[in-house]
Amino acid sequence: MIHFNDVTKVYNGNVKAIENMNFTVEDGELVIMLGPSGCGKTTLLRMVNQLESITDGDIMLNGKSVRHSNKIEMRRNIGYVIQSNGLFPNMNIEDNAMIVPNLLGWDRKKMRDRFNMLMELVGLNPDEYRKRYPHELSGGQQQRVGVARALAADPPVMLMDEPFGALDPIIRTHLQEEFLQIQKELKKTILFVSHDIDEAVKMADKIALLKGGKMMQYAEPARMLNKPANSFVAEFVGQDRVLKSMSLYTVRDLANALTLKPVIESPDSQNINENLSLRVAISKILNQEADQLIVENDNGTRKGSITLDLIEQFLHREIKESV
Amino acid sequence: MDRTNKTIALIIKLIFWALLIAFFVWAFANNMFSKIWEQPDTFLRLLGEHITIVLLSGAAAVLLAVPLGIFVTRPKFRKSEWLIVGIANLGQTIPSLAVLALAMGFLGIGISAAVVALFVYSLLPILQNTIAGLDSVDDNMKDAAKGMGLTNTQILWKIELPNALTSIIAGVRTALVINIGTAALAYLIGAGGLGVWIFTGIRLFDNAFLMSGAVPVTLLAILIDYLFKWLQFALVPKGLRLARKAQNS
Repeated sequence: MIHFNDVTKVYNGNVKAIENMNFTVEDGELVIMLGPSGCGKTTLLRMVNQLESITDGDIMLNGKSVRHSNKIEMRRNIGYVIQSNGLFPNMNIEDNAMIVPNLLGWDRKKMRDRFNMLMELVGLNPDEYRKRYPHELSGGQQQRVGVARALAADPPVMLMDEPFGALDPIIRTHLQEEFLQIQKELKKTILFVSHDIDEAVKMADKIALLKGGKMMQYAEPARMLNKPANSFVAEFVGQDRVLKSMSLYTVRDLANALTLKPVIESPDSQNINENLSLRVAISKILNQEADQLIVENDNGTRKGSITLDLIEQFLHREIKESV
Repeated sequence: MDRTNKTIALIIKLIFWALLIAFFVWAFANNMFSKIWEQPDTFLRLLGEHITIVLLSGAAAVLLAVPLGIFVTRPKFRKSEWLIVGIANLGQTIPSLAVLALAMGFLGIGISAAVVALFVYSLLPILQNTIAGLDSVDDNMKDAAKGMGLTNTQILWKIELPNALTSIIAGVRTALVINIGTAALAYLIGAGGLGVWIFTGIRLFDNAFLMSGAVPVTLLAILIDYLFKWLQFALVPKGLRLARKAQNS
């Protein structure tokens, strides 16, 4: 658990970078801090592992004040991933990934096993990459190693500073999805900085939207999209926020909440899997002649069909519920 | 373009080697290195003195300049950089002959004055290359290291120094190669070295003395240069070497 308690950061005696920040990242939660550049999100992240000092207030990390902890020991218990992966060019991939276990004095066998396991986890062949050097890897591969390195000593908490920000969109989407799978398995407590609303909606359990060092809204993605706390939030999440919120639901969610329409045979309507996101479903309906899509489950059994009317009905219901 | 450049480089190299071989053939034919065969004991003594002056002054300069370079690049002591680099600069700006003369003024004639003078003269290239090497280490890398819980000492030894090593060794190499030439002047303050034969040759218009002194000095400089190239290869971490190669190709 990371608990921000009235955290304030003042530069040069008068420039307030962070003002009275109060919020909690619960165990196993992935919280994304979002905001325009200069809003203080990175500063706030770096205050957790004390790369930035705290002027006033405190951050409690699993019940312990970070201001009064031994910095070195504390940092070794926090996974840290940065945008430009920061791998060390003088070390091979194994040494890079195992740097914290090495500092902690793990034995060779344990480190090797851990390296193999982590590389499999991030989707790289351990034996192929063990002796290679960072510059020989693509940006995406380097960032995978960066994630493996942060997970090396199995820290309960991870700090990630725009970890996928420097990657091209296709690789970024891949890594986001893979990382979500990893997180599902490992259930780390993660504080994550991003400037990309779509990334936040897709990945976060909760979003903290900051502006000028102040918290604008701290809420689940659906709530932030459907019920922005103020005009800044509404503007930041975008005019198409309703459409964005649709990517939070699958067709199955809709089928569970409402009764699907009966299937009307028509050569124009496409079949879709029930695991498809509603956002994609809407796009598919708009992109075909017929007004409906036929919903199938994983076995190919037809469950009914959806129309724009049905989606609208679902949307209103969800917005009402999330308020 | 790249290919023409390579061809030109090769031609220049071949011309250089041809000239070098021609020179040695000429020199041997005219018995230019006769002094080395005639007085092998003197030659070895002078060579020993020459090497001693260069190595002692070089080692002392490395022992002072590298730690100084580390010191001034620590954020806490960054403010002292101008002062320390300024002082080292002073040593370099004064002509080498004047530094020798000044050292003789304090320490009298003999080898110790020459060692001190060359030591002062070597500080700047080593110091500057140490600072440049440490400064060139990516801040993101240091930040990542710090964020993962490495102590400042660990960051210095595991991250900063390995990544700055190429530049530091290059500085030592430059300093030593210059010193081998400058050590020939040590004769002027009675410190011996191969300068003894070179200056004798100049005074007596005796090419045999001149060549027997000057050519070994040149070969020594080339030898040290290659030695340090090899040292760079042996000491710089493999990953960095490969990265540099990949960048250049």
